[in-house]
Amino acid sequence: MATMHRVVQSSVSTSDATTTSYDGLTSCKAADIVISDQFPAGLRVLVVDDDITCLKILEQMLHRCRYHVTTCPQAKVALNLLRERKGCFDVILSDVYMPDMDGYKLLEHVGLEMDLPVIMMSADGSTRAVMKGIRHGACDYLIKPIREEELKNIWQHVVRKKWNENKELEHSGSLDDTDQHKQRHDDAEYASSVNDATETSLKPLKKRSNSKEEDDGEIDNDDPSTSKKPRVVWSVELHQQFVSAVNQLGIDKAVPKRILELMNVPGLTRENVASHLQKFRLYLKRISGVAQQGGIANPLCGPVEANVKIGSLGSFNIQALAASGQIPPQTLAAVHAELLGRSAGNLVVATDQPALLQATPQGPKCIQVDQGVAFVQHSVKSESSSSKHFSQSFAPVEDVASGFRSWPSNNIGTAGPSNSGGLSSQNGNMLIDLLQQQQQLQKPQQRSTVSELRRSINVQPSCHVVPSQSSASFRAGNSPVSVTQNGSYSRTAVIDYSLLSSQSNCPSLNIGQVSDVNLQTTGVLSGYIPPASVSPSVSSCSVNADNCASQQVQTSSMTFKASRHLPGFVHSTSNIPDPYGSTKSGDLLNQEPFNNLGYINKGTCLPAKFAVDEFQSHLSSSSHGKVFSENIGTRVKQEPSMEFGDNAKVGIPMLQQFPPNDLMSVFTE
Amino acid sequence: MLGSGADRLRADVNRLLAFLFHQGILDEQFLQLQQLQDESSPNFVSQVVNIYFQESEKLLRNLRSLLMERKLSDYKNIGIHINQLMGSSSSIGAKRVRNVCVAFRAASDQNNRTGCLRVLEVLEHDYCFLKNKLHELFQIEQQRILAGGVGYPMQN
Repeated sequence: MATMHRVVQSSVSTSDATTTSYDGLTSCKAADIVISDQFPAGLRVLVVDDDITCLKILEQMLHRCRYHVTTCPQAKVALNLLRERKGCFDVILSDVYMPDMDGYKLLEHVGLEMDLPVIMMSADGSTRAVMKGIRHGACDYLIKPIREEELKNIWQHVVRKKWNENKELEHSGSLDDTDQHKQRHDDAEYASSVNDATETSLKPLKKRSNSKEEDDGEIDNDDPSTSKKPRVVWSVELHQQFVSAVNQLGIDKAVPKRILELMNVPGLTRENVASHLQKFRLYLKRISGVAQQGGIANPLCGPVEANVKIGSLGSFNIQALAASGQIPPQTLAAVHAELLGRSAGNLVVATDQPALLQATPQGPKCIQVDQGVAFVQHSVKSESSSSKHFSQSFAPVEDVASGFRSWPSNNIGTAGPSNSGGLSSQNGNMLIDLLQQQQQLQKPQQRSTVSELRRSINVQPSCHVVPSQSSASFRAGNSPVSVTQNGSYSRTAVIDYSLLSSQSNCPSLNIGQVSDVNLQTTGVLSGYIPPASVSPSVSSCSVNADNCASQQVQTSSMTFKASRHLPGFVHSTSNIPDPYGSTKSGDLLNQEPFNNLGYINKGTCLPAKFAVDEFQSHLSSSSHGKVFSENIGTRVKQEPSMEFGDNAKVGIPMLQQFPPNDLMSVFTE
Repeated sequence: MLGSGADRLRADVNRLLAFLFHQGILDEQFLQLQQLQDESSPNFVSQVVNIYFQESEKLLRNLRSLLMERKLSDYKNIGIHINQLMGSSSSIGAKRVRNVCVAFRAASDQNNRTGCLRVLEVLEHDYCFLKNKLHELFQIEQQRILAGGVGYPMQN
């Protein structure tokens, strides 16, 4: 009684703890869940729904499940509540359509600010709606009416999220580089890149990057869905802080906890650091392969492993690299060169930019760009068009270099090996185009270049779009298009690979089609991706481009790679510190396809119960139904309004005559 | 005497429920609602249903005023109202009302004002019918309890 009273009156009500609530959770603590023997009893659930009827029913059902329930009919109030009481809730159930705030917006906010699983609910069970929920990061989507059995299982989302985080911690905590590397490899190969994505703190932010990049890492708690982890934007500054902390501790002794302490960044969690560290280690491992040849001891490098692929820089002057004195930049450059796949001849342009790698405060480490660049030069095949672009864009190269340098991006590492897989000049073109695009932006440039690099690399093996062919179209100032393209690929990556493979060679066509698919599946990057499907045309690409502009580049490539054999990229992309926001989206994207795989299935299954089609099936089940719909649609005039009048008059007795489910007969009578 | 009165009333309740189920007015979700009622929430069903009535009448009034507007263009808003009505109706097991909402949504998706108005009439009618029947159900149930019967769900 009292509960109901409160529900009706106030915006927030806290229902009495269930009989078996466990003490630890009733108070607001840090987000760790203690798995007691009574678990999942006591799970702290926040229910947000403007429909008081449903709110009441859910509250009772959740009580039955022995959960600790808090209800709230207004989304804004719920959000405030979440903010005030961080760590007081384990999972959120939210309606989709609410008057004061869209459920998806709430989803995004929760994802950004607090890392909580959010389950969406709605009477609308159409595939489209479910898909949208998934894209926005919901970890589940329930269709009303909700049964108690469905609520019993919501704890799984909480557990899954926690375990994924823990798993990531284990990995990053391990000082065994080899193991890490091995694991990386495995992970890299495929879906485990999802783990990376999910683990990590380097998630692409949903928000636009611009506002955030200068911060010391915004920690955006990413998707509310359990599968996604909080994403940290590893800005250049933040990353540098990280690297300096690691250097201080020594790579072998660098433990996330200590790093976190040294970095002293508010809001950064150990998990964030742990995952970043893991990626950084992998990156170092990869690049150290080159450095080792030079015999240069680098405090940052872990055990050097011979990386044949990187070693195959061949014409590159590895000795020169080694001699340059600082491994990271060198290897970076070398990898970069590899990355460019010998096609980015134009990148070479940057050769004469000694100041290129000055981006990081860690000056001494960043040097030798020229040498690195030189390598790039060697490796590059020149493309006339690209070179044109390139010659104008010194900055991009610089950005690339510094970008590489500033992030321990595993991409670079993986780029090496994957490059050997066959980056073509096409990549170079893409890259160039992209780089050029990024010219105007300072930091974004860096990022974008890196992302572009990544992207281009990613695109190559995995998609049928032939960058070189498309470069022409891209070049037409549509480098964002390529970005977008990647983005789309990345999104749909696993899911739509078949789609891609079946497409023609027309790049724009591919893009368009991919975009179509992507748009359906992604949407998380939500403001950027137009919801409408994109027709296979440049215009559509440019739309995407606009949207993706600063963002999705990285993500897209990453994800895409994940689906293919360039797992490294996928992995790395997520690592890319993205002050610019791309990484966030990238990570988001990375995870998405994989996460969504599960969800999509789920999503498609759920609506079966109440699909919009239900109406149709309902209609079809009744012979009258079809007539009804017809009536409504066209023969309005013929609609027997009189019938309704009759019904009204006849009232109950009439109803009794109707067969139970033949609702539509009312209209056709 | 008491016992037979309670039994008779219980039979009445059962009969009414059976009728409502048979006619498709209610569905199994209503049973779920009944199962949620227990000693700690002895009036759960009637509480929820009363809330439903309050909210639904608001929604229906809004829908009517929206559709009566001279210049009707906000079908999205209508859709939202319908969605909510559909959600709450389905949550309490009001199957028929929910189905009419589905038809309503279809008409609204087509921006078919006339169609919407027609469906709204059906909706209002079915809703009134449901309300009357449920009130009747609660009344009999109250009498049954007063006559000495135990609260439902009636599990013996």
